[in-house]
Amino acid sequence: MNRRYFILGAAGLTACVRDPRPRLNVYNWSSYIAPETVPAFERECGVRVRYATYESNEEMLAKVVTGNSGWDIVFPTHNRLAPMRANGLIAPLQHGLLPNLNHLDPRFRAPSWDPALSNGVPYMWNGTGIVYNRSLSPPPARWADLWSPALKGRLTMLDDPEDMLGACLKKLSLGFSATAPADLRRAEREAIAQKPLLRAYINAEVRDQLVAGDVLAAQLWSTTAQQAIDSAPQLAFVYPAEGFPFYCDCAVILRESRRVELAHRFLDYLLRPAVSAQIVTATRTATANAAAVALLPDAVRRTETLYPPPEVFARGEWPQTLDPATQRLRDRIWTEIKSA
Amino acid sequence: MKLRTSFLLPAWLWLALLFLAPFAIVLAYSFLTRVYVGVAPPWTAESYQRLFDPLYLVILARSFAIALAATALCLVFAFPAALFISRAARFKTLYLQLVMLPFWTSFLVRTYAWIFLLRDTGLVNTVLQALGLIHAPLPLLYNDGAVLLGLVYGYLPFMVLPIYATLERLDPSLVEAAADLGARPLATLFRVVVPLARPGIVAGSILVFIPCLGAYLTPDLLGGGRTVLVGNLVQNQFTTARDWPFGAAVSIALMLIVTLLLIAFLRRESEPLA
Repeated sequence: MNRRYFILGAAGLTACVRDPRPRLNVYNWSSYIAPETVPAFERECGVRVRYATYESNEEMLAKVVTGNSGWDIVFPTHNRLAPMRANGLIAPLQHGLLPNLNHLDPRFRAPSWDPALSNGVPYMWNGTGIVYNRSLSPPPARWADLWSPALKGRLTMLDDPEDMLGACLKKLSLGFSATAPADLRRAEREAIAQKPLLRAYINAEVRDQLVAGDVLAAQLWSTTAQQAIDSAPQLAFVYPAEGFPFYCDCAVILRESRRVELAHRFLDYLLRPAVSAQIVTATRTATANAAAVALLPDAVRRTETLYPPPEVFARGEWPQTLDPATQRLRDRIWTEIKSA
Repeated sequence: MKLRTSFLLPAWLWLALLFLAPFAIVLAYSFLTRVYVGVAPPWTAESYQRLFDPLYLVILARSFAIALAATALCLVFAFPAALFISRAARFKTLYLQLVMLPFWTSFLVRTYAWIFLLRDTGLVNTVLQALGLIHAPLPLLYNDGAVLLGLVYGYLPFMVLPIYATLERLDPSLVEAAADLGARPLATLFRVVVPLARPGIVAGSILVFIPCLGAYLTPDLLGGGRTVLVGNLVQNQFTTARDWPFGAAVSIALMLIVTLLLIAFLRRESEPLA
């Protein structure tokens, strides 16, 4: 680098540091926003947004738990809100600053995890079900079908203790968020019985192997499954008959934020039907914003993987926050299953 | 302070900031109590008591077995390669560059490449089927063999380079002397070359064994998450299980075991040959 460029670079850097515009810090899941979402907000409000992404709730929590992470807005999954609130991490939502809240789907206006919507704005949601190759006959319809010897070596389950044990619990007609040790042990025996049939415990990476036809059936999140289906029409998705979990990621303002008002402006911006519809179109997810859904093309709205019809939706359950003792027992059981 | 000792200052600073400080933090975590995310007082040794659970001892034993197997396989592949490169009359630099070439790409990307090679519709199975050698795809991916392959592939250069370094310095006249005294080539190899290359073999084995023992990426990606090695156990405690004190205790215990083994091993190595 010659000296002129160095000076230019240094000047550019100083310019950045001196930028007088207020800065909002937004930390979100990866692939959860449209490319134009943030720049449009910056132009409209004359602010800068520092935007970064994470891959798991734990990755985000490990940072914000310090109370001086530098982030203003994060997007935890619904069952992380209560413990975050209990740990003093969340600034309560001021509904007066969120006029667009009335666009929310009625199903998300008083959710079980946050009845007064005081902690987070429901953003996007998805469920866990079975994605399978249409060549399977009969097609799987229940979790129990994933214990069929015919699938040996062509079947995968999620590498996630909550979802994996949850599927075993639902197969036994027990609650997804069961806490009784005896129930969890029964689920463990189901998991160990299924293990010889499994190709792998694997998450989103299974997508390629479903598309290639290596894997014929997989436990998978609906959003990821839809991405696979979009690129391979021989695939289909089903929400299992015994019941299944839904997860909703919620936009939360952290208590450490010093720009609470600007943060509310950003959340209200995300709640605008046009903005939300743009995000959903770019990311192929399901929004909790009913007015945004109304703006989507019919074909998208009728994608049953993303927007299951009411009778399917009714079978879903929203996983609860687990107490520490249950969490520890579940982790131990998970390690035992993997070691078996 | 003498000028000469002050040359060590940057190294000490580096060690203090980037090794000792994080180590102290992990040590402190291992004696604290778990909260929703992170750690808090009171101080306790509970995490260490949990280590003696047979479940975790089995995981530790399995990790040792896999790391030992990977080290042995690396040695088998690396020694002839190092010998060949050290004896090559031409292209020596080229061969060494080739050994180091994989480092130009991220380990993660290279591990994913193995998935594409090994899976049912991957290159290996497709070619074998096209040649008519097999009729159904072989289950190459998601088993202990795939994990071992990934580890050997990943750490092979760490074995080749130290062995090459000792073989390169080996005085050729010693080999000639062995031949003059009537040793056949194989006898020369095992009674002269291998013993003289011992420092390189020891260094290479340590460089391969230790990272293999803590590996978590390869068992996860190529093993399909079907087994837990100690690296996965630690990773899981810091992620989904959110039990940082236990994760820290497993790390400290592992470090302690490896250090003790290493000390015992190196002490034996430094004894004069009987």
